[in-house]
Amino acid sequence: MQNVWALASLWVGLALLATLLAIWFKISTALTEIVVGTVAQLFIGALVGTKGLGASSEWITFLAGTGAIVLTFLAGAELDPVIFRTKWKEAMVVGLVGFIGPFLGCTAVAHYILHWAVRPSWLAGVALSTTSVAVVYAVMLELGFNKTDFGKAILAACFVNDLGTVIALGLIFSPFTIRTLIFVVVSIVVFFILPFLTPRFFKHYGGRVSELEAKYLLFLLFGMGGLAVWSGSEAVLPAYIIGMVLAGTVGKDHALVRRLRTLTFGLLTPFYFIRAGSFVSVPVLIKAPLVFAALFGAKMVSKIVGLFPTVKAFKYQREEGLYYTLMMSTGLTFGTISALFGLSHGVIDQAQYSHLVATVIASAVIPTMFANAWFMPRHLLPKAEKEVAAKEVSAVTTD
Amino acid sequence: MKGRRHSQFQKILVGFDGSHQGEKATETALVLAKSLDSTLLVFAVARPPEPATMVELDAMLDDAREHFEVQFKKIVQRANELDVELRTDIAVGHPVEQIVHRAETDHVDLIVLGRRGKSRFERMLVGSTAEKVLRYAHCPVMVVC
Repeated sequence: MQNVWALASLWVGLALLATLLAIWFKISTALTEIVVGTVAQLFIGALVGTKGLGASSEWITFLAGTGAIVLTFLAGAELDPVIFRTKWKEAMVVGLVGFIGPFLGCTAVAHYILHWAVRPSWLAGVALSTTSVAVVYAVMLELGFNKTDFGKAILAACFVNDLGTVIALGLIFSPFTIRTLIFVVVSIVVFFILPFLTPRFFKHYGGRVSELEAKYLLFLLFGMGGLAVWSGSEAVLPAYIIGMVLAGTVGKDHALVRRLRTLTFGLLTPFYFIRAGSFVSVPVLIKAPLVFAALFGAKMVSKIVGLFPTVKAFKYQREEGLYYTLMMSTGLTFGTISALFGLSHGVIDQAQYSHLVATVIASAVIPTMFANAWFMPRHLLPKAEKEVAAKEVSAVTTD
Repeated sequence: MKGRRHSQFQKILVGFDGSHQGEKATETALVLAKSLDSTLLVFAVARPPEPATMVELDAMLDDAREHFEVQFKKIVQRANELDVELRTDIAVGHPVEQIVHRAETDHVDLIVLGRRGKSRFERMLVGSTAEKVLRYAHCPVMVVC
């Protein structure tokens, strides 16, 4: 028991450190938790041995897994069903193209250039196919595009993109037995019933101190997650879709979402991201930097190649540059979930895992770094250029 | 007295981040608005973490809105005491860009800012927000120390 409490104290201490770093440097907690996990494993591994951090302990694995499941559920619940219904055609096309391009491109680069075996290559494609909904949403809010048709369509497309990633993760590595069929059939039934059943159940029994709503959702997520794992799939797949089908009900219950977030950020996700970071091997990254460069390049190029015809088809010329930039960002959550799934199920080894996580982080961070390094109030740029041009014209005409 | 806005600074914007310097700047802006009979916009910017994850971003935005709305109540109360016409607003994004953009779109005549930001990192870079706003703003900027 003492060891458990000491280990728990260490992990929560690391989570606290990560939170402080996130506050001081104004970066996301998920990123600092991954980095803290990596550095902690490096030092503790050198001092005590690779098992010193206890990342493979059952209870840590359970908490981390729960963190991934609940986080994925909350991410799915962020979907705005009204926007999705009005923009579903564009969202489906753009989202699927945004998924398929990097999925196939990164798979091909991993297999033919890096000479990874077939299954690890598919895993690389899945992990690098995501688009960061959060980065897109943040920029949309900043520029006011979240209220425009363009912004709404892009946001909906990002959800479709991530849905493609989650489905690919859940099905590509599944053994496709009778269990898979049972899982799919039960899932479809559950997804249809939930939007009808859940609000009525909550209305009748919810709103009490005993937190019935949270227990109900955890029961659902654990149950479907267990069924997914039993069938050879991945627990986050039903979690994301459950979040999406309940987005119009549970997703709109602000108080419930806040309570779930407290549970998630306060306890669960630190275990997930620190654990994800602890499996990254820094020596491997230092030894083979070109692997990371190849995967990063593959992600960027395949996104552009995939999205270019779509941008033209939907006549997004005016916002083209912004659109490409936004779609370059990889989702930290699904990217690391995919990579960790691969490591946990023996699809990839630690070296491949390290390269994938490094690429996921880089493709989330680098676009942001460029944007901040060359910061200029964007709305002023065209005006400044016009003013310079007007002055030049004026100078010529007065001569 | 209302209706007699003859000063150069009819519209004032104060950047508010909830810090001690932000509060000082707001109080200065309120007193200035009172003496010049100007309208005042108290403008807060919630800066998303980078790179953002969706759930964390939404949680941050909710918390920021709640936090600023509580702070704004005190400011509104103070504005009522001074009989200053006041608006409050919260934007999301890079603070400098949002302040400069809002000042332009609202045709603000004066921007008031605190000299140092709230975080330790920002304290190391003395007044980096104020410095950048000074560089890009279309109107005079007052920095309150």
